[in-house]
Amino acid sequence: MGVPAFFRWLSRKYPSIIVHCVEEKGKECNGVRIPVDTTKPNPNEVEFDNLYLDMNGIIHPCTHPEDKPAPKNEDEMMVAIFEYIDRLFNIVRPRRVLYMAIDGVAPRAKMNQQRSRRFRASKEGVELTEEKQRMREEIIQRGGYLPPEEIKERFDSNCITPGTEFMDNLAQCLRYYVADRLSNDPGWKNVVVFLSDASVPGEGEHKIMDFIRRQRAQPNHDPNTHHCLCGADADLIMLGLATHEPNFTIIREEFKPNKPRPCALCGQMGHEIKDCQGVAREKKGQHDEFADTVPVSEQEFIFIRLCVLREYLARELTMASLPFPFDFERSVDDWVFMCFFVGNDFLPHLPSLEIREGAIDRLVNIYKDVVHKTGGYLTQNGFVNLERVEMIMQAVGVAEDNIFKKRKEDDENFKRRNKEKRRRMKAEQQGPAYLTTGQFAPHALGRRDRPEAVHNARHQAYDVRMQHNKDAAQSLKAMMKNGGNSSAGPSDSTESRGVKRKAEDSDSEPEPEDNVRLWEEGWKQRYYKTKFDVDATDDDFRRKVVQSYVEGLCWVLRYYYQGCASWKWYFPFHYAPFASDFKDIKGMFTEFEKETKPFKPLEQLMGVFPAASGNFLPSTWRNLMSSPDSSIIDFYPDDFAIDLNGKKYAWQGVALLPFVDERRLRAALAEVYPDLTAEEVKRNSLGSDVLFLSRSHLLFDFIHELYRTESNESTDIPAELCHGIQGTINLDDDPILPDKTVKSPIPMLRDISQNSSIGVKFKDPQYADGFVFKAVLLPDAKIPNKVLKPGDWEKGNREPWRPQLGFNPNRQQAHLDQSGFRALGHSMNRNQRGGGQYSNAPPPSNYHQGNYRPPHAGGHQPFQHSRQNSLLGAPPSFHQPQFPRQQQQQQYRGGGHGWDRAVQSQQSAYQQNMNRDRGGAGPGGYQQRYDQRRDDWHDRRDDRRDNRGQQHQGYSSGRSYPPPPPSRRYNWN
Amino acid sequence: MSTLDVEDFIQQNRAVADQVETYRGYWESEKHWEPRREFILRNIGDFDDEQLDQLLSLSMVWANNVFLGCRYSTELLDRVKEMAEGIVVEDAPVFKTRDEIMKKQQGR
Repeated sequence: MGVPAFFRWLSRKYPSIIVHCVEEKGKECNGVRIPVDTTKPNPNEVEFDNLYLDMNGIIHPCTHPEDKPAPKNEDEMMVAIFEYIDRLFNIVRPRRVLYMAIDGVAPRAKMNQQRSRRFRASKEGVELTEEKQRMREEIIQRGGYLPPEEIKERFDSNCITPGTEFMDNLAQCLRYYVADRLSNDPGWKNVVVFLSDASVPGEGEHKIMDFIRRQRAQPNHDPNTHHCLCGADADLIMLGLATHEPNFTIIREEFKPNKPRPCALCGQMGHEIKDCQGVAREKKGQHDEFADTVPVSEQEFIFIRLCVLREYLARELTMASLPFPFDFERSVDDWVFMCFFVGNDFLPHLPSLEIREGAIDRLVNIYKDVVHKTGGYLTQNGFVNLERVEMIMQAVGVAEDNIFKKRKEDDENFKRRNKEKRRRMKAEQQGPAYLTTGQFAPHALGRRDRPEAVHNARHQAYDVRMQHNKDAAQSLKAMMKNGGNSSAGPSDSTESRGVKRKAEDSDSEPEPEDNVRLWEEGWKQRYYKTKFDVDATDDDFRRKVVQSYVEGLCWVLRYYYQGCASWKWYFPFHYAPFASDFKDIKGMFTEFEKETKPFKPLEQLMGVFPAASGNFLPSTWRNLMSSPDSSIIDFYPDDFAIDLNGKKYAWQGVALLPFVDERRLRAALAEVYPDLTAEEVKRNSLGSDVLFLSRSHLLFDFIHELYRTESNESTDIPAELCHGIQGTINLDDDPILPDKTVKSPIPMLRDISQNSSIGVKFKDPQYADGFVFKAVLLPDAKIPNKVLKPGDWEKGNREPWRPQLGFNPNRQQAHLDQSGFRALGHSMNRNQRGGGQYSNAPPPSNYHQGNYRPPHAGGHQPFQHSRQNSLLGAPPSFHQPQFPRQQQQQQYRGGGHGWDRAVQSQQSAYQQNMNRDRGGAGPGGYQQRYDQRRDDWHDRRDDRRDNRGQQHQGYSSGRSYPPPPPSRRYNWN
Repeated sequence: MSTLDVEDFIQQNRAVADQVETYRGYWESEKHWEPRREFILRNIGDFDDEQLDQLLSLSMVWANNVFLGCRYSTELLDRVKEMAEGIVVEDAPVFKTRDEIMKKQQGR
């Protein structure tokens, strides 16, 4: 789902769904890397059966990373992808299945979005190159230094589209990778690997869903399989819920906002390309020994536990006294459906539903109101009940007017606050009206450089006085010149010196113009006029839009629950209608066209690429994108309009690209099909999923036997040999076979001479036409233990309850004894000054009042309090010994009360723990590095704290029940 | 060809008119379709049956330019403008293309 805000909203509202991953790092000994043994129990204290990788979420960051220099060539990209998969494998440690799915040709419904992304990407790429060139020339003219331009072709990320050579190579490389790991990595030896490359139609995540759906509909499926799906798209959460598998976890990279990025020109951190000065790189460390250490942390991973999300949803959606029996599974499906209104890849979102404005909460409230009247659920097994949906839409429609008014109000308040904040900041920067200077200049307390004794005080005082007089005289003169308009006094000295006052709004951005003005009377007319260029009286047209949207909702839901209903259907407008327009929609949709076929890969490339990416296509095909005589030239505009639609930047707006006429596209291509080479014909054909496994797997002999007998018929997998997984296998034309050398497609990696893996074509179990996959829990499925605190839980009553931080409810807790705290406090607390964490607590003595800082933000307050309470109640006497460092500190800190110190050393303990989890370096060596990176750390700690604040909201109400002390194994704490 | 002429033409060539009607895009409003239909009818005589797709493509180039704000090469735009001479479009929408937006944002 193209809604980044969705995940943020979800993780704030339901914080306990997130669990940070524990990752065991490989060790190095005398320069030899010791790989992690993934046969060992999972350090996350949970065992996963199946790991599914939505590969496009891996390919993009590995080929054009945002936070580090790009790989130099394709080979390096492939190696980066391998390493990324290795990392995930190490964290998740699947025991049965690894499923890798690369996006194949997508349904037509997705083409609009793909087109818009690729047309933009192509333009952005050109602009970046131009800007680089311009800045480079400018800097070199000024005598700056830049590293020589690397001789490499600009990587056009558009090549990550099925049908390109790049994707073909990638498939080859992954086959090699899988064969290598199956042959050499003990953790892989019992795992079945599925590879669904770009030649198999369907989006990656939906191919995965199809696999799961088709497995769980057959009788041998293990209903308690623990699935883990990797990918950052928010719609994976919806897909996971849609499976109704009780054990479903998503793993994704932790999102950290405002991560520093290296400058695209000189590769240094700390500035953007437009501020590049071309200065030589600063030495890192005394002898430049840290030159290659990347200053940003390695991306970390988080788990999203859907079973916990289901607990939250159960709380939110459960309704008493319904006219029909309540079924939680059905209400989850309705919830998923309502989330589509707010945004999905196939339809523009309704103008009144904005996730940031709490649209989903609004929908849920309406839903609970209306469901009493509807007499049933909105959806069943992915089929929509339009009559009931209309009731929801009408209820949203009633509120629409107010939503738009409120949006405008909020927007204006936000701007006003921002402006005031800027003004305040400016005023703060300017400081007070009069400041003593020189030796009398004020010093901040608590710095290392203590003020020195004042010399020659009289003279200094005289200077200050004279300067003051001069200022006063000058302002007096200016005042007389200006006719006494400006207020007098030295406080206005800069102004009254005749400096023109800048317009108050000079730093505010110009407003994008908005002709629709949804907050004013007549918004609907203006919307249709501006966005669709039709009059409000044109009811027929409006109904057409609504009908298409209704079809779209049906299509999307079906796509999630049953698979692609039609490869041809798409939403043929750039904008959505209003909720209030959904009237009489009951008969608007009956059924989709049957037996539609996906595009061939090269056809789809013609449909989504701009002419500038034509180099990925054969020349006569490419010619169709640029020749004025081409019969499809209208698909390829050089430039296109962008409707900012109330947003600020071009990339946020709606790209107004023409829709592709499928008939004309196919007709034009029919003429150039004969020009394809044999290799291109192969790339353009439909491929098959491939199954790999190693010699030690139970199924191995069975498959090996098939190859030996050259049985060319499709064979069903015997379910008992493969954890109940079923499907049909066919011999591969160019198979990976045991003891047959697998050639390495990458020069820097070796061929596998001792191959012990085998590969075979795989096809998901097939079902009769019209089969409906049931969206229900399977009969023998066991619901995992509850994690959330029972809503009616009270301290002291019933059984005790403890917050659960990881997967394991009975996790071992680690404790430090007194001496441990002492040791930590000894080596750590000198870094604590100004840390800001303890300052949340009331100041211990009046001395500190000046130093007291307000809390950062509301979010983490409860957490900190609870933590401090608990820690203060910890070992009773550990703050008594006086450590040398602390005494040192007391010199400028004043009365070091026991309380104060206690918290300090506590915090040290916390930090030390954090470090241990991250680097694993011993405390000794760590100290030096810490000094170097202190600033970096502090920033990151803030980030983490934000996260933690969210996590703890779940039990912050039970303040008297503090979270347990941090354990070294769990790096989220 | 004025609007009236278009009506006349449709009256006299029902078969052609019906055929052209099938080329209407689902997303096209009356306001957008009528001028494009006129564009096709005006020029249909200059194109053989096999070249019909090319005419449709050119009509879309013109319509995309006028109603959607798309830019094509000057050669192409000149050509379709010439073919569309005399077609009256009242109250055509105004657009900002991506290039224009980027230029403006850079200028700041």
